[in-house]
Amino acid sequence: MLELYHWEPNIYFLKPLIALGEAKIQFTAHYFDPTAFEQFSPDFPQNTESSLQLEREGPLLVSGGEVLSSSFFILEYIAESHPAAGLDPQEVYDRYRARAWGQYIALQLAPGVCALGCARYLAPALAARDPQQLTARIERIEPQERRAAWQAVVSGQYDERTQEAIRERLKAPVRRIEESLGRAEWLAGPRYSIADIDAFAMLAPLPQLAPGLVSEATAPRIMQFLRRVRARPAVQQALTTGRSGRPEQAFVPGAEPSRWG
Amino acid sequence: MLTLYHWEPNANSGKPMLALAEKGVDYQSHYLDLLRFDQHQPEYLKINPDGTIPALVHDGRVLTESTPMMEYVDEMFPGPALRPADALERWRMRWWMRFFDSYFGPSVSMIGWSIFVGPSVRGRDPAELRAAIDRIPLESRRIAWRKAMFNEFSAEELAESRRRVQFGIRALETHLDRHPWIAGRSYSLGDINGFNLGFGLPLSQPEHCNDRITPRIMEWLRKIYERPATQATWAKGRTSLASRVTMLKRQS
Repeated sequence: MLELYHWEPNIYFLKPLIALGEAKIQFTAHYFDPTAFEQFSPDFPQNTESSLQLEREGPLLVSGGEVLSSSFFILEYIAESHPAAGLDPQEVYDRYRARAWGQYIALQLAPGVCALGCARYLAPALAARDPQQLTARIERIEPQERRAAWQAVVSGQYDERTQEAIRERLKAPVRRIEESLGRAEWLAGPRYSIADIDAFAMLAPLPQLAPGLVSEATAPRIMQFLRRVRARPAVQQALTTGRSGRPEQAFVPGAEPSRWG
Repeated sequence: MLTLYHWEPNANSGKPMLALAEKGVDYQSHYLDLLRFDQHQPEYLKINPDGTIPALVHDGRVLTESTPMMEYVDEMFPGPALRPADALERWRMRWWMRFFDSYFGPSVSMIGWSIFVGPSVRGRDPAELRAAIDRIPLESRRIAWRKAMFNEFSAEELAESRRRVQFGIRALETHLDRHPWIAGRSYSLGDINGFNLGFGLPLSQPEHCNDRITPRIMEWLRKIYERPATQATWAKGRTSLASRVTMLKRQS
């Protein structure tokens, strides 16, 4: 039996929830609260890869005792080990496109989306806590990149000017996705695939976080795409797995932006 | 019809070169001289408007992301499988390729750009260099080239890159202590990816990557170096960047 460690159905956490639902796979769900740092408790599943966590606090899939991290590769694992679900594109070239989207979204879109979400929702939530306890807890986080990502949120690094610069950097990936959706209904071939699940999870917060970038006026095809994916029963079901009642406000630090600028 | 546009057998260009060689697939090779900015010339921008290398053109389709490109090569062509059949090992291969591509690689290459790429072009006419920068399509690449050409990497960012390279070396040594190959039991695209990034480490990081401190990495690099496909691929190199690979030759 697969086990999924997840938080609210938003950003990285939403992806495997959708894919497992689409493939109708039975799994044991372990809900955890990364803002309470439950992912650092001693009984939380861990291996080298999950502690280096390129996506910071993201979901974990446990399969046969092995701990899988990094959300797009979890999607590929689900799709490849359950081929009957048809979540992988059928053509070799379309599978290339799905993987290229997975990489592009992870490196170009996700860091900015998570940073904007943390600035709007996580920073004020953390500001309401006892600062000494919070600082002491964050100081114990390893490795240092993961620690620094939390410190950036707490220290107010995402001020208005930084957020504006992040929105500016998101323009290119948003435009690229909008153009692709103008050529075809789905991102990687003639049918819905893991590329669409991946894109949906990261695009869905943008109408709220960056309406200047994603709205009916500026990115109508993305808006249609979001409605099309959201209407799927497996997505509807995944969106009910939260406990806060406001999954669209659930953000934790994501992958870091490129250090090359 | 299969055409690969590439630079040296190194980093991203070397990934599809070595994967194609391992599969035994013939292709038309277009060498682009990165140091002469061939990749920003109009004829290449018609193929890849982003102006990044490598690019693979197969039956009119253009592939520009080197890691997914390798998976395409493995799936599309006959020859030995370069991805494990086991789904978990495939996941592990992909996770480590992302670690190489997004964490380890950019730090290794920042150092490489500051000590090799930058000095290689710096003697030229500054006006010519500025014009070359203006032709670069992606903002992130413009920034990288400007820093390399005019030696603008800050001490802090280079120090952070060195820290990350050392951290990555330790993580890789630990990983190879548990598994003989990146994905687990067999040679895969993960090793091809890692070799392209890491074959120069014993020379560029001699105090952190050597037989005493990182014996697993050294043995892994040598085993890959000895493969016929690696020998054939690195023989295509034209600069000292590629010829560094010979330091992996075992002393008999």
